[in-house]
Amino acid sequence: MTRMYKDAGQGTGNEQRMTYQKLEKGRNGKRGSVADPLGPNSEIGRKLRQYYDELIVEDIPDRFSQLLSQLEQKEQPGSTAKED
Amino acid sequence: MSASPSFRDGLLAAVPTLRAFAVSLAKNADRADDLVQETLVKAWDKQDSFQPGTNLKAWLFTILRNEFYSQMRKRRREVEDSDGLITARLSVHPSQDGSSDLSDFRRALELLPEDQREAIILIGASGFSYEEAAEICGCAVGTIKSRVSRARSRLQEILAISGEGDFGPDPISTQVTNSAAIA
Repeated sequence: MTRMYKDAGQGTGNEQRMTYQKLEKGRNGKRGSVADPLGPNSEIGRKLRQYYDELIVEDIPDRFSQLLSQLEQKEQPGSTAKED
Repeated sequence: MSASPSFRDGLLAAVPTLRAFAVSLAKNADRADDLVQETLVKAWDKQDSFQPGTNLKAWLFTILRNEFYSQMRKRRREVEDSDGLITARLSVHPSQDGSSDLSDFRRALELLPEDQREAIILIGASGFSYEEAAEICGCAVGTIKSRVSRARSRLQEILAISGEGDFGPDPISTQVTNSAAIA
């Protein structure tokens, strides 16, 4: 068997950058393609989505909306806005 | 320019999916919510660096993930001092009663190394493309692909074994035997 995985030594968190570039070209969902190993025909894929869907709770705890309101209020309307 | 209402709305709308991703990383619901909170604060502070029109969800996932790993590094240092107490607390399951089938799956998922677990979740559950996942994780697309593929085969192995009976070999020794057989 040929070794295809060459990333084994790569750290998970060391070289993260916050630069976030446009990713539009990568966005065509490939979910439907035949070769998709996590697609609807894969048991792992189905369980994965089931697991994840169960974690998604649509009700947003007040904690978060309150937090955002606080953050919003912290920004004084009079303060100078930085624009360049 | 102060925050546009749509930025705030965007953050709020992303909360459910951010929480799900956070739980799957942190394996602990309380810690996950702290992560989400920290993510929202960071996102708010650096909203100028977000380019409108790009993928807000991916941008937020990147922040959350960075936060998770920097907390992990901090904790690891603490754990060395405090004799594993924190580690024990980290492995508490979020309280929810899924089917037993699904809790098997959750346990299997938790056995994966973090890099593999996040890769398979980003691709298989959060709906990101390989390119987006690579950007979120700060690595090459090929790296994501190989992590996903290893995660998948590992899960298959673990689940097949745990469904089959109690006396099967453990996943690691199976892996060893399998690769020895192939080599």
